[in-house]
Amino acid sequence: MIPEIEVRNLNFYYTGGVHILKNINMTIYKNQVTALIGPSGCGKTTLLRCFNRMHDLYAGNKYDGEIIFQGQNILSKDTDLIELRSKIGMVFQKPTPFPMSIFENIAYGLKLRGIKNRGELKSRVEKALKDAALWEEVKDKLNTNAFGLSGGQQQRLCIARALAVEPEIILFDEPTSALDPISTGKIEELIISLKGRVTIIIVTHNMQQAARISDWTGFMMLGELIEYDRTNKIFTVPSNKLTEDYITGRFG
Amino acid sequence: MILKKRKVISSLALFVCFLTALWGIFWLSFIIIDVLRHGITAINPSLFLNDPAPPGEEGGGLRNAFVGHLLITVFATLIGVPVGVLGGTFLAEYGRKYNISKVISTLADIMVSVPAIIIGAFIYAIIVKPLGHFSGWAGAIALGIIMIPTVLRTTENMLSLIPWTLREAAFALGAPYYKVIIQVVYRGAATGILTGIILAIARVTGEAAPLLFTAFNNNYFSLDMSQPIASLTVTIFQYAMGPYEEWHAQAWGAALMITVFILFATITGRLLIKRRYKG
Repeated sequence: MIPEIEVRNLNFYYTGGVHILKNINMTIYKNQVTALIGPSGCGKTTLLRCFNRMHDLYAGNKYDGEIIFQGQNILSKDTDLIELRSKIGMVFQKPTPFPMSIFENIAYGLKLRGIKNRGELKSRVEKALKDAALWEEVKDKLNTNAFGLSGGQQQRLCIARALAVEPEIILFDEPTSALDPISTGKIEELIISLKGRVTIIIVTHNMQQAARISDWTGFMMLGELIEYDRTNKIFTVPSNKLTEDYITGRFG
Repeated sequence: MILKKRKVISSLALFVCFLTALWGIFWLSFIIIDVLRHGITAINPSLFLNDPAPPGEEGGGLRNAFVGHLLITVFATLIGVPVGVLGGTFLAEYGRKYNISKVISTLADIMVSVPAIIIGAFIYAIIVKPLGHFSGWAGAIALGIIMIPTVLRTTENMLSLIPWTLREAAFALGAPYYKVIIQVVYRGAATGILTGIILAIARVTGEAAPLLFTAFNNNYFSLDMSQPIASLTVTIFQYAMGPYEEWHAQAWGAALMITVFILFATITGRLLIKRRYKG
């Protein structure tokens, strides 16, 4: 088990000093699926967005502590965010296709990295779409607008877009909460198929989903990481009473 | 009982709305039909191909005014659109966090309804007066300034319609902000911004007052923007006031051409908006 990310004494404050994340410590393992669960407002999405420094887009946010990735503290001021985000991709709650064709959507991240060769773009777009199990459905309409796809297809397109640049880690922020059960099933299968090739951190409201697809689960409440362990342990013999109450549906 | 009363009030309100709508449409079609009726007889090749002839002489046209109007409008667009689009981009993107942005937005809203003649007088004071003569440039700048608030506010509104998650998705792929704006946000808002630009052009095309103070008029064909230059609207004003029958006819012809252009531009704008919201 190789550690990919070390979170050390992480505290996070929103504008005005609101203390959102309280002293988080955890190790995320390489090429495993780590799920973050917990009641609404517990800080799981906030934690997820620390890993690619998404909070930097908004003024007044403050990090404290360390997130070590590839030997560097990514929270330090001289982290190159563009490079960081090319290594740590993200898929959002709602599908976010860009207003362009399916092909251009996938090629966007590649072009950002300076890949201009048409042939290489083509083969990497095809590979990403195949990895995201979308190729068969879209191979004949690569040049049509991505908005023409269904919600589930759009979300797989976003996953393909994240995969295309071959990141080390992909962050999923409740990727199936806007989708129907069949599309959800496809996304879950896809995440499981990516195991072993890319590190996945997924925030989910759906405990069954965490149990189905993740290797590690972190249970959060009120900004604290209450318990973090292997998924089968969390869901069978949690060591913390709060975790047990949550997974047995007593609150949340 | 109450229900019946409500129904009566409802149909009464509906009837009044219908009447007022009809009243508005009546005058609108009256104007358009009148312009069409008078203007159509004045439309002939010499209107476009010849310059004004002395009153009483046959075959005079308004070539100078058509060309002058086109020049002024093109340069006004070149002045007004970049400032408007970039300013709107600042307000919706980089300037979001500053309070001054809201002040600028409000000022732009006020500017939209400032009478155009005031802009004309303003340009007269800062450009025409110091330089000592009217010029096409002064006219183009005046119209450009009139375009700015419209384009600025449309751009700002269209950009704010693009969901933030879309920008976040582009950032998450490692795109710098300027690329996010140019490659993702502009693409999503392109039709909307274009519509705003077309409507702004349509608006300034019909302005006469600001040109009276700036470009003034010229009875001769001229491409020199640093000299007074003819425009359709000012020519209409001058000819309609004049004593000659041919002048009146040509003024109607020019009025028809402007109306047709504005109608065409507005319809194009509306169609673009419609297409945008269909997705």
